[in-house]
Amino acid sequence: MTNSGTDPITDPFTDAPIDSLLETLIGSLRANTCAVSGPMSAEEARAAIVERASLHTLVACNGDVPIPGMVDALVARGLEVLACDDPGWSTRLADAGVGITGARLAVVHPAAIALAAAPGSPRATSLVPPEHICVLRVADIIPTLAEAMLSIAAGEMPSALTWIGGPSRTGDLEMITTLGVHGPRAVEVLLIA
Amino acid sequence: MTDVVDPSSPDPASTQPASTQPASTQPASSRAGTGHAITTPGVDFHDRTANAVANPVLQQALHNLDRRLRTAGTAAAAHPEWKDRAAAIRRETLLDLDGWLDRLDRTLTARGVHVHRASTPEDARRIIVDLARACGARTVVKSKSMATEEIDLGNALEDAGLTSVETDLGEYIVQLAGERPSHMITPAIHKTLPQIRDVLAREAGTDLAVDREALTAWARERLRGEFLRADIGITGVNFAAADTGTLVLVTNEGNGRFCTTLPRVHIAVMPVEKVIPRLADVGFLLPLLTTHATGQALSNYVTMISGPRRAGETDGPDELHVVFLDNRRRTLLGTKYEEMLACIRCGACLNVCPVYRNVSGHAYDSVYSGPMGKVLTPLLSGGAEGADLPYGSTLCHACSDACPVKIPLGDMILALRADVPDAHTSERRRRRLFWSLFARAWSTPRGYRITTALGRVSRGRVPGLRAWTATRELPRPAREPFRDRWAKEHPGERP
Repeated sequence: MTNSGTDPITDPFTDAPIDSLLETLIGSLRANTCAVSGPMSAEEARAAIVERASLHTLVACNGDVPIPGMVDALVARGLEVLACDDPGWSTRLADAGVGITGARLAVVHPAAIALAAAPGSPRATSLVPPEHICVLRVADIIPTLAEAMLSIAAGEMPSALTWIGGPSRTGDLEMITTLGVHGPRAVEVLLIA
Repeated sequence: MTDVVDPSSPDPASTQPASTQPASTQPASSRAGTGHAITTPGVDFHDRTANAVANPVLQQALHNLDRRLRTAGTAAAAHPEWKDRAAAIRRETLLDLDGWLDRLDRTLTARGVHVHRASTPEDARRIIVDLARACGARTVVKSKSMATEEIDLGNALEDAGLTSVETDLGEYIVQLAGERPSHMITPAIHKTLPQIRDVLAREAGTDLAVDREALTAWARERLRGEFLRADIGITGVNFAAADTGTLVLVTNEGNGRFCTTLPRVHIAVMPVEKVIPRLADVGFLLPLLTTHATGQALSNYVTMISGPRRAGETDGPDELHVVFLDNRRRTLLGTKYEEMLACIRCGACLNVCPVYRNVSGHAYDSVYSGPMGKVLTPLLSGGAEGADLPYGSTLCHACSDACPVKIPLGDMILALRADVPDAHTSERRRRRLFWSLFARAWSTPRGYRITTALGRVSRGRVPGLRAWTATRELPRPAREPFRDRWAKEHPGERP
């Protein structure tokens, strides 16, 4: 039995092959009411996001989305993309139909995706709009939280690192889950290869 | 106390009938706020539990705890070896709490965070009210935090002329009802859905359906406006990593994210024991906290904050303040109660406690309820409050078994009975006298004959021990003792 905080705990998941990790992550996210699609190519993801966003008129899109030409493709479809330097950012964001972000990494056990705040990638994009689309690279998937925290703590911390496991939810009404209490009611994860 | 909207459904929060609670002990009862004075003189824990058990609507609401117990219990059982790891990390922290706090102070300061140290609740309230005044704030949004309950911050802010809005849905309901949270994870567990509808409808000024989705949608709309308007966001802290200067906040609703994203100023109230040596430690502590609190492998949101908004960033607060709150915690270091500071506030001990499950949080009449509240309340008040709480326990030790960081809560509850002087002291003295007389009497056949004869006459009642015998039954002596029957049937023979 290990008793020091710095000793690694052997975790059965650490050496699992990526295919089984991916399968587990997708299963856990879906079980927590996230929609998950992919893995797909960046082009396919771009087309899928434009298709989804076209249901709205105003969208927000972070700079960390790992898809080349994402904002141009949204604008080409006739959508207004809310600029990060818009003076009315937080109030206008409430009118955006969807917030599109990238992710710094994801963890399989327990299933969660981490978003780092940075210039061009505000915290509120994944919080204020009723729907959040998150683009995750398969290469950024890490088996366990313990492992992820070791590598994160070793690097420079962003001003805010937000872990998201699913939609906003509450159990405050008779301990029965209700979604979308403050943050997004719907979270969709797009995996790109 | 809450207005009773429907006379046929008495409010379960009103576990104390007016007759047992003098009106003078309810400060701030006329305004919605976060709580009132902690103690209720003149009404003891025993009376409050009796009232809670007799309240049918409260009992109905408490059945909902079963849902939590099922999910949290099974998920937590999956990682038994993590308990050892987490317990070790927490104890490692306590070995040099001041050292880790100093390190955290330095790393936070290096990140541009303002660190304040408050040794009493008064200090903490003054620091925060001064900060609010200095930045000309009018509205404060709060994320659920037991530490801010402990220092009664909501009322202090209102007294200073600010509007303070609780944003966790359960805590918002409790604030609107003018009550206090009855469970640290699920503050409105004592309310049924129709009662929640009544509270929200009164605030809305319109009729609302008894429907979870509709009530949630209404609260979302209302609180969204508060988030946009607020000047200051106030939160607690779940863990604070000394090595990186990072505050970790656990939520599910996203209100904690709003409080740390939109307002210009973020103030975090951090009880001193929340510090952990390394950010990497949350890899174990976080899943352990959430599985024990709600049964989730991880809560849907975890926010790790390392400083205010940086140059070029669109959102996040311009100013970040952290208030280290001591409130007698450091006096526990080196005592037999030191391990209580390992507590991570998951609520698992409440969920399994046979007393809590029957009476709910308000019966404890303290900020912290359940087994951990029975220990923490007397300790944080130096014995001035909650002295009778350690007696409201079956000593079944279910709390000790449930605790993810292995705090021997059952042992501490028992030890506090001896260490905290309380109203039971004279009763204890009487009891000791009774047992010593008993031991002496039953050491001789003559004494035995006399006392059993007295027992037959008094039918199990012992004068002077009513408080003890009220909840216990002495065995009824046989109408005719065996000794007498033998003498009758075998004259002249010794048994």
